[in-house]
Amino acid sequence: MSDEEKKVTIETGDAGKGSTEIAEGANTEELEERALSVFSSDRNEDITALIFCLITTFLVLLFTKWMV
Amino acid sequence: MSRIKDQMPVLIMGTGLIIYGLIAKTGALEGLAKALHTHKTLDLQITMTLVVGAIALLGAFINSAKEPGNSNFDTFVLQPLGGIVLILVMAMAIRWYMEPLVKIMSKSLQPLLGFKLYKVLNLNYVVLGILAGVVLTNTWGIPKFAAPGVKCARFVLKMGVIMLGARYSFAELAKLGVYSVWLVGFFVLGTVFLVLWLGNIFKQPKSMTGVLSAGMGVCGVSATVAVAPVVKAKSAEMAYTIGTILSFGIICMFVFPTIGKLAGMNPVQFGAWAGTGILNSAQVAAAALAFNAVDIKTLKVAEIFNITRVLFLPIIVLVLATWFGKETGQKLSFKSIVIDKFPVFILGFLLLFAMSSMGLFSPPSHYKGKYIDVSYNDRTQVTSEEWETLNNAMSKNAFSGLSTEQLEAVTNLIEQRQIAGNYDDRANKKEFDHVGRSRMTQLEGVLAAAKANQIKLSGEVKSAIKHAVKQVHKKSKTVVTLTNCMIWFFAFGLIGLGMQITKKSITQAGGWPIVMGVISGITKATLSFFVVLWLVKDVVLN
Repeated sequence: MSDEEKKVTIETGDAGKGSTEIAEGANTEELEERALSVFSSDRNEDITALIFCLITTFLVLLFTKWMV
Repeated sequence: MSRIKDQMPVLIMGTGLIIYGLIAKTGALEGLAKALHTHKTLDLQITMTLVVGAIALLGAFINSAKEPGNSNFDTFVLQPLGGIVLILVMAMAIRWYMEPLVKIMSKSLQPLLGFKLYKVLNLNYVVLGILAGVVLTNTWGIPKFAAPGVKCARFVLKMGVIMLGARYSFAELAKLGVYSVWLVGFFVLGTVFLVLWLGNIFKQPKSMTGVLSAGMGVCGVSATVAVAPVVKAKSAEMAYTIGTILSFGIICMFVFPTIGKLAGMNPVQFGAWAGTGILNSAQVAAAALAFNAVDIKTLKVAEIFNITRVLFLPIIVLVLATWFGKETGQKLSFKSIVIDKFPVFILGFLLLFAMSSMGLFSPPSHYKGKYIDVSYNDRTQVTSEEWETLNNAMSKNAFSGLSTEQLEAVTNLIEQRQIAGNYDDRANKKEFDHVGRSRMTQLEGVLAAAKANQIKLSGEVKSAIKHAVKQVHKKSKTVVTLTNCMIWFFAFGLIGLGMQITKKSITQAGGWPIVMGVISGITKATLSFFVVLWLVKDVVLN
């Protein structure tokens, strides 16, 4: 982003409450989307959720079915 | 020093949780938990509060000792920790105190109102969680220490959606009558496409239209929650959809029984109509009971139609994921729609649905972990006292008035001491199972007839039959545990999403979602009314 680029002030937050400056041409929808997640992309978020769930499922099966 | 000050709320919450866990461990909370009907969760309360409390204290100490960094551990664990602990504390308070209190209060208001308020308004942890989040964010605002943690909400909600797949099974759908599957399938898909079309007409955002179409088409709140991340719906849009569905359902709950009676619908027709037209499961049951409180048939048919609708959820998720990918994608090739745009977490949902359908968690024909097992098992027998009661009643001819099939089922229950097929047919599993299940249905009929005062049975006899029926209704421990995980993930995710709903975001969504919801809801209710009157005469089940 060049320094000469026009900037606009937006409200950030639902969660953060406050305002910040972003480039006028920035993809605000994408920024808004990412501002509401700790992950850098949807795919990372989905894959991590999937892995966590598979681990949980395995542990649940282990303790409620296979080891009883 | 300022870092310690920043971490003070987390330290206080951690200490509070540990103190709570230790008090609960002494047994001091048992009386309170019994009064709130949460005593079965006391072990979980102790474990969760001690573990979360210890992690909160440890994290707060690390955060106060070290400079904030940019490592993965900082981004995903240390920085969000405060918010995660806050949401967990709120989720615990809702699950263990607020939800039971709301239930107790609505039960005490029942004589005055004539219905249970929490059932009608669906005041469960889902709605209470969102409300708690909304109240916090619009009054005090989200505390600074919690802001990064709130961003984990959608991620955890996705985990809940994946877990949701374990509750349904394809075999259950296949078991339902062909009529109900076609009828419900037509209305579910019809409503989804109607809402998508209305969204186009009223120029609503794709995310709003997508989430509302699932909510209005499938099964209300759980469909909304499952589809929201698929169509990237904002928290306010999700809240709007849930609000629209519940308010529409409340109106239906009162209007449906009156219209059904005026139109002279029979119990099966009304059950089919309520199960198709009303969205929320609790409201379907309430409407069926309001129409006919004694004939179990109405409620049963309504529930079967409701289950059929819920089982369409995986299909609708696939349809909407493809629709959303197509609507937002630049290229319209199969690869770009299905592979690039398709949300990975939905594959997880489908994977768990497949595992559940294959019988990995429970016998394949289960629904939400519940299944019927009529095989021989000492543990499913009635007690010796119950057997004596039934035997005496039979010798005193107390079962006069029963149909031949019902009498055969009771006689066989006395002979075998449990509900099962014929001993000689035990090698033929299918036949054995079929006979056992039909005996169970007959015994349920006996109980319904006794309830409707068509036959007279003593309290002991009724309780013995009730116990025998209860014994063959099993619940899979695996599915119950997976469901509990799902409930906690949902509670966490929805409180966090509630925190992202500000007054401004609600105003931005405008009133169009309600208009679309009402149009599609009324269209579905009216069309299904005529179709049910025309097609459904009496028998709709297999």
